[in-house]
Amino acid sequence: MSTPQTIGQRDTLVPVSALNEFVYCPRRFYYQHYHDEMGTPYELVDGRSKHEKQSQRGGWITERYFRAAELSLHGKIDLIESDGDLLTPVERKRAESGQYFPSDEIQLAGYCMLLESAIEEPVNVGYIYLYKTDERYAIQITESHRETVRKIIDKIQSLSVDSIPPLTDNPKKCEACSAREYCMPAETARLEPEKARGTGWEGQI
Amino acid sequence: MKAPEGMFDESVIYVTKQGAQVQVDGGRIVIWDVDGDEGELASFPIEKLDTINVFGGVNFSTPFVARANEHGIVLNYFTQHGKYRGSFVPEKNTIAEVRRAQYDLSRERELDIARQMIAGKIRNARTLLSRKGVRGTDVLKDLGVRTESDATKDDLRGTEGEAAERYFQLLDETLADGWMFEKRTKRPPEDHINSLLSLTYVFMKNEVLSALRQYNLDPFLGVLHADRHGRPSLALDLQEEFRPIFCDAFVIRLVNRGVVNHDDFRKDNRLSDGAFKTYLEKFEDYMNEELTHPHFEYTVTRRKAVRQQAILLRKAITDELDEYHPLTFAR
Repeated sequence: MSTPQTIGQRDTLVPVSALNEFVYCPRRFYYQHYHDEMGTPYELVDGRSKHEKQSQRGGWITERYFRAAELSLHGKIDLIESDGDLLTPVERKRAESGQYFPSDEIQLAGYCMLLESAIEEPVNVGYIYLYKTDERYAIQITESHRETVRKIIDKIQSLSVDSIPPLTDNPKKCEACSAREYCMPAETARLEPEKARGTGWEGQI
Repeated sequence: MKAPEGMFDESVIYVTKQGAQVQVDGGRIVIWDVDGDEGELASFPIEKLDTINVFGGVNFSTPFVARANEHGIVLNYFTQHGKYRGSFVPEKNTIAEVRRAQYDLSRERELDIARQMIAGKIRNARTLLSRKGVRGTDVLKDLGVRTESDATKDDLRGTEGEAAERYFQLLDETLADGWMFEKRTKRPPEDHINSLLSLTYVFMKNEVLSALRQYNLDPFLGVLHADRHGRPSLALDLQEEFRPIFCDAFVIRLVNRGVVNHDDFRKDNRLSDGAFKTYLEKFEDYMNEELTHPHFEYTVTRRKAVRQQAILLRKAITDELDEYHPLTFAR
């Protein structure tokens, strides 16, 4: 048998939105990519045809697609604020809970890295805007953010269909997860307890 | 444990009204009485359905079929009397990685899965008999144990055959006065009980087919039933564990509660039109009836329990679980 295909071989670039999905739960991400088990199929954001006609009004650039082969990253930035020479990506979140998550910061860091590769200037700040509270947070993108982004890209690229990621370390995430019915975390912990060992589901039943 | 939400509610619908047409109206599926003057018979949100079963003279509008394809809705065609005629299967119904895992299954792994299914069937046969107060099931117990040491599929088929023979010998004792089960006959069923059993097996096979397709398994490639052109072997395999505890139990309930009488049958042992309609309603109620899941301890409908088994089978096939865990009721 040939070596199993990895996502890295299939799509050489990782979409920025995948960083957020992977941080939320690698297993959910696996189902989405290999088993189409999310209700709606995952679609690659490919801006070359669809997203090229960006509009520019006042100090905003919307729907701009970027790709950076050297980062193995691509994606569409919904909103970029421009203030003179300064460009700052904005990631808008519905955030019913009224707060944003570390995974949102990672996604924003991915956009900043994409943008700086495109304009060849450092982009060290991004904004997270929450609809729910109409609040905007300035996020300082640190070297630790960048390192995390690079690590996650590596993990995503080496993901293979033959190695399913373990159950989540935080069962609370399962409550709102649309893949739960297929993933069956609690059921797996009960039927084959060794599969839950070392995960957040160990000892939950 | 809390049951996961969603997805399977109302996922299967039956259309028996002759002359009805299935149409789309925005995001909804509408059943319309085209020939008569009853107008809208029913409507359902499109994203909730995955299977539509139609009986006899029921039509689909062309826009509906396009939408069914898009949304992954399977259409099953039956004659007015419930004989299966064929299916429309949406094109996106394949996920290469799952199919590859299914086709790559080794003989030993197939045997492992089949063993679990047959052991589950025998366990459930014993449970049904004991729920009905029938004694003399020790042979079944022994045969259940024997599945573990069956080294080939043929051995396993032999064990299954012996168990079925023993089980059907005892089934007669579960029936109310006026009903008799002598032996299992098919094509054609030679008496009313066999006719009801056959009909129910067809309906359950269809539930299982829908479930397998929902999870992108190939229903025609079996682990125990021999592959034969046009035979949904994997559906028949997965159906085994449900036969006693769901199908036979349903038939026993129908006759013992007097829902179906001998007068409801025609000369050829088929149900009369009116009785068939009652049968369909009862089957649908039965599949939507809730029970406490024996392994997970939350409440599920029978339909959901069947679909979960398709998921568990897929997880066994894709190596996400080490073995197949059949749906077994110990009591």
